[in-house]
Amino acid sequence: MNHKIVGIPRALLYYYDKDLWIEFIKKLGHTPKISSFSNKKHLEEGQKLANDESCLSLKLFLGHINELKDECDMILVPRLFSIKKKEQVCTNFNCLYDLVNNLFDINIINYNIDLTEKESKLMAFLKLGEILGASYIKSYKAYKYAEKISLMKRKKLEQEQAEKLSTSKIKILLAGHPYNLYDELIGKPVCKFLSENEITILYSDRIDHTKIDEECKKLSTDIHWTHSKEVMASINYYQDKVDGIILLSSFPCGPDSLSNELISHKIKECPLITLIFEDLNSEVGVITRLESFIDILKTKKEKIYGKNN
Amino acid sequence: MTKGYLGIDIGSISTKGVIIDAQNNILASTYLWTKGNPIQAVKEVLKDLQKQTKNQDIKIVSVGTTGSARKLIGTILKATIIKNEITAHAVGTLSRYPDVRTIIEIGGQDSKIILIRDGIVTDYAMNTLCAAGTGAFLSSQAKRLDVEVEDFGKIALTSKNPALIAARCTVFAESDLVHKAQIGYKKEDIIAGLCRSVALNYLNNVGKGKKILDPIIFQGGVSKNIGVVKAFEDILKTNVTTDEDGHLMGALGVAILAKKEKEINFSFDIMEGQFETSSINCGSCPNNCEIICVKEGNKLIDAWGNRCDRGKSNIKIEQKE
Repeated sequence: MNHKIVGIPRALLYYYDKDLWIEFIKKLGHTPKISSFSNKKHLEEGQKLANDESCLSLKLFLGHINELKDECDMILVPRLFSIKKKEQVCTNFNCLYDLVNNLFDINIINYNIDLTEKESKLMAFLKLGEILGASYIKSYKAYKYAEKISLMKRKKLEQEQAEKLSTSKIKILLAGHPYNLYDELIGKPVCKFLSENEITILYSDRIDHTKIDEECKKLSTDIHWTHSKEVMASINYYQDKVDGIILLSSFPCGPDSLSNELISHKIKECPLITLIFEDLNSEVGVITRLESFIDILKTKKEKIYGKNN
Repeated sequence: MTKGYLGIDIGSISTKGVIIDAQNNILASTYLWTKGNPIQAVKEVLKDLQKQTKNQDIKIVSVGTTGSARKLIGTILKATIIKNEITAHAVGTLSRYPDVRTIIEIGGQDSKIILIRDGIVTDYAMNTLCAAGTGAFLSSQAKRLDVEVEDFGKIALTSKNPALIAARCTVFAESDLVHKAQIGYKKEDIIAGLCRSVALNYLNNVGKGKKILDPIIFQGGVSKNIGVVKAFEDILKTNVTTDEDGHLMGALGVAILAKKEKEINFSFDIMEGQFETSSINCGSCPNNCEIICVKEGNKLIDAWGNRCDRGKSNIKIEQKE
């Protein structure tokens, strides 16, 4: 079996499935190579490559592929259509494989998940294993192992998040797609600013996953984007447990344009701001908005609990 | 001798300055265009305030800055407090209208809504990517119609039948306006329609989903336009209050906030020196952060804009040059 270096762009789906990918690839005896944290160069390259109506996150993704293209034997770019029954994912994930295939002359490894065609995640990984030269049995074992680790890590994050709720500090729910929340150019500056101001941050993707369907239903019965459901559920679940909510979006995001609107109409009691990131964003505007938001939460808390608490 | 507190609000279009006493009375105030040069604008503001207070025995003991250039000017003036415009506006307005529950603010490039309940800010929103329906939009349309923007309100009030103008986007509004003019709408109807579209655009964008409750205070440059005020009143079916000092609320607010800070020695000459800003690109990593350096003569007083500490060494090199 040939040892391969498998490139993984640190963008989009990476933030959902990174542990699964990394453990699976390692278990089959190959080396995963993850691109570096997002920086301006990724953005610049991505802008050049992308269609001008692509969202910021997709532009960054293309930048990451560009970084990896000469450094590995193959790059993992999955195609997702439906990963949960009767639900869909953003069209970007539908076309990602074809998009990259058209733009770059590279070796792509791909898997396909589409429940409407009965193509499950397990089957996708078995095929992925086949491309990497492993037998079905070996791939099956590797997948189960990777799934276990990824679940364990998830549980730990969920638990840590649940523990954060008991703090007496100001708590803010940072809600949005994980590829925005944890991106070095998008969510990181926000997190950094909040932490510097001694604010406890909760992340929408770290909600207890068993709660998603039930909580989401309370806000909307028929949002059918799997990834938006997670955001909506966390907002409904945390709205009476945090002091404020920050909705983080990249521009222009199709699913968010609908779900953010819905959220801002339904959430009445909890202070909420929306931060939209695009390529030309200046950090100054974001900081002004954050500063004022924190001021609001602080004075509110002082008013309720008295100044010295 | 009375103690004075200086508040300066440096916005994208205009720069405002006030001096207040311990009871929040405005002792002197000034308002002029920023003209893209905040340092020069503040120099002029200080000069004007100094002139106005020459015969009064006032000693400035604290300084606050707000507005989009708050950090730059705050650094140069060694301000005791640098505060964002939302908090400053809320504090300023509350000092005059303690019962206010909604502040509508439409400035040159941004518009915001501040919701206040029981004297504290509970929520706010600001325009995001788009500056449609702000002062800049109105003044460019005024130019197109060959009307002074200051006369807009008066003309709008004479209209009996305001034209419907698409409000969601400046570009669409503009082409709609041209279209309406070409098919023969009267100028006053178009202007009244524009004022209405500013109000509608605001309520659909910034004010969407927010509970707008009485009493409502309308501020910012656009609040001087009586046509827009009337449009808001018609749409909201309630009174909208404007204050003749409405444009000063940010400066007033930050002056009030400065009162709580420790006292300093302030002299109006502080801006006499040559202040210069320059920007360098760090280049230590692919982020290539743009670092803004503020210098007084040859002395570097502050620098910002770098995401990490690596930028510091580059600033030192810049300083040597």
